[in-house]
Amino acid sequence: MAAPARKGPRNPAATGSKSGDTSHLYDGKTVRAAAPSRKKLAGRVGGGSEIPTDAIPEIQIPSFIESLLGGPLVPKLKFLPADKMVQTLQLAAYALLVALGMLTWIVSPPQGTIWFWVSNSVGVATLIQTLVVIAAVATGFWGTFNRDPRFMLSSYLLFILSALRFASSKVSLSNDWFGFDDNPLMLTILVVLYAVILIMYFELTNGVIRFSMLDTSIRTNEVYVMNVKKVVGKYHRSLLVNPLIAGTLAFVVLSANTILPLFIRPFSEVSALRMEQSVELISVYGVALGSLIVFLIVGGVFAANIPMRIQKYRENKD
Amino acid sequence: MWSRKSSMLGSLAIALYLLGLTLRNSQLVTIAVVIFVFLTYAALFTNHADVASSGRRADEWEGEEGVSLSNVSAMRKLSAARVFEDGEVSCTLRMQNQSSLAKILEVRDRVPEVMRIKEGANYILMELGPRRETMIEYTVECPLRGFYSIGPVTVRIQDPFGLFHKEKELQVYSDFLVFPKMEDLSDTFVKSKVPKIFTGAVNIRQPGPGSEFYSLREYFDGDSFRSINWSAYARSGKLMVNERERDAVSDIILIVDGRAVSETGPVSRNALVYSTRAAASLARFFLSRRDSVGLIVYGDEVVSVDRDTGKKQLYVLLTKLAGASARGNIPLQVVVNRILPHINKGSPIIVMSNLEDDPTIVSALRDFRARDFDVTVLSPSSLDFEFDARRLNRTGFDVLKTERDILIGELRSLGVNIMDWESDMLLSTALAGARGF
Repeated sequence: MAAPARKGPRNPAATGSKSGDTSHLYDGKTVRAAAPSRKKLAGRVGGGSEIPTDAIPEIQIPSFIESLLGGPLVPKLKFLPADKMVQTLQLAAYALLVALGMLTWIVSPPQGTIWFWVSNSVGVATLIQTLVVIAAVATGFWGTFNRDPRFMLSSYLLFILSALRFASSKVSLSNDWFGFDDNPLMLTILVVLYAVILIMYFELTNGVIRFSMLDTSIRTNEVYVMNVKKVVGKYHRSLLVNPLIAGTLAFVVLSANTILPLFIRPFSEVSALRMEQSVELISVYGVALGSLIVFLIVGGVFAANIPMRIQKYRENKD
Repeated sequence: MWSRKSSMLGSLAIALYLLGLTLRNSQLVTIAVVIFVFLTYAALFTNHADVASSGRRADEWEGEEGVSLSNVSAMRKLSAARVFEDGEVSCTLRMQNQSSLAKILEVRDRVPEVMRIKEGANYILMELGPRRETMIEYTVECPLRGFYSIGPVTVRIQDPFGLFHKEKELQVYSDFLVFPKMEDLSDTFVKSKVPKIFTGAVNIRQPGPGSEFYSLREYFDGDSFRSINWSAYARSGKLMVNERERDAVSDIILIVDGRAVSETGPVSRNALVYSTRAAASLARFFLSRRDSVGLIVYGDEVVSVDRDTGKKQLYVLLTKLAGASARGNIPLQVVVNRILPHINKGSPIIVMSNLEDDPTIVSALRDFRARDFDVTVLSPSSLDFEFDARRLNRTGFDVLKTERDILIGELRSLGVNIMDWESDMLLSTALAGARGF
């Protein structure tokens, strides 16, 4: 038989000393560094032959969507309380949300929507359309307030759902309070404004999550940020510059019936006039044509590797 | 590279564009156009979209794609190339931007998973000005022995909206060694009734039990009355004892079981971890006494360090122990057969093994005892590690423990000094238990 074990001093590495904490070795799962008392454990562990639950490793099999996206669609993250930067972004998102809700309601009349087709009643369709817009605003507000990406995603989908309608190529308004229906230019501006605000809303709410993550990482010492002001300042600048450029370019694309005749006019005054009054160019197909031309130009710029050449020149400039 | 966000926005834009054309809804097409413009602008101007992700060395990069990051370089300096377990290594990473443009960089210095950042951060977001450099400092704690590398440095540039990013790995590596933690055994041996466990024939100039006179010193409690020098007492009026020159043994062989089964248990608490720590502590103790120490680690192959003395030998042994990994299943008998012709008769042999999954243990140790080797076995119990981690239930533990006790009893009957080393027991206590003093 074995000799009785001597009871000696406890190993400091095996007991609860600071350096003995090995929780970081187990993917964040806290594992006690100190050896538990066998007598105590023997009292607790059953005598059956079943496999203890903690002996089976936890395997997380990603869902189909997760495997497609390389991660969860909506990560469940817990953030520390919002800092000033995040609060500012939240306030901006609320402001955009209100504006977006109003613009969506104005530029997306119930005629042509799914609920109009189903109910065949303007009243019912208006009610449902209004409810959808309100739901989009409410979920967006709740998602931004709680920094919960699930509600944000729902809000995005509801906003897009409210815009899904058969529109007969014409931009129509649910309420023409300012008489824009007779002014194609103002209609175009309104639609571009709506589109830009929608994208900015996407970006700002996404920014709330991104900067919350960053702030949490900074405050938990996971990441260190040098020169925070410059990093944040660049984001702020981009928030102003990008929508301006996107809006301008979208406006150019939507004004195909105005811009194309400018190039044609030196050759044929009549053709230019016809183009200006062309129903096709004013319609959605005109927009498609305009965007095609613009993106062909952009594609050409990329194909010629011009951005890279500019970058190289700037990099090597003394 | 497209991020998930840009991919989703791109997909949404295409879907809305096609839906807009189908439903003849210019509102949808406009949203799509704005998204396209947004993406294009990010790709064109704000992306620095020329970062290489090939992992080539920065100074080797000549292609057009890697313009931005070809001008970013990294250098690293470590505070130590060798540390002991639970020790700390300070890293200083110097990032240089040799370009004429300021860059917002995300820098992550890859640290081995088992290590913990104790101070500072290895993940930094920074704005690095034109032709500027910056130092990033952090400290890692090294809880487990082994050979480790810090690196490569991953650098990422992305646009402010996080739509596009490109990464590059700067192949900058810093290697370092983590030696097993050592326990101080000197007190244990001095305090014990027998000051050292092995005696031999080689005289060295150190006090200790032996035959030759070394010096006189004052009497302390516990000294034998037989060693009192009565003449000196008469002269000085103080009790004086004779110190003798220690007889050292010619060599001590440490055998560490590095088979795959020795790693049974949690990562930081298993037989191999305990065995390597014990071997390191014993090596230091014996080498400090100027003994000659040899080491054998067996697993998928038999790795041996020939007997030698001195500090250099300690580092050789520690290096081997740091690199010991649990692999293979070579039986102890193979090791015994291989080393028997090369070790001096009567040499003390200390085996550190969990005694599991090896049917040749009894016969191998019997071979040693038959040739009159002084064999000590320190056996960290994998059963205890498994039971403590609640991976083994009570019944299984009892059955396996009984089997183990029978094996230990059998080895003890061969004259092997053996100790069932419990997980919460100090090495000195385990040694005292094995040697019976």
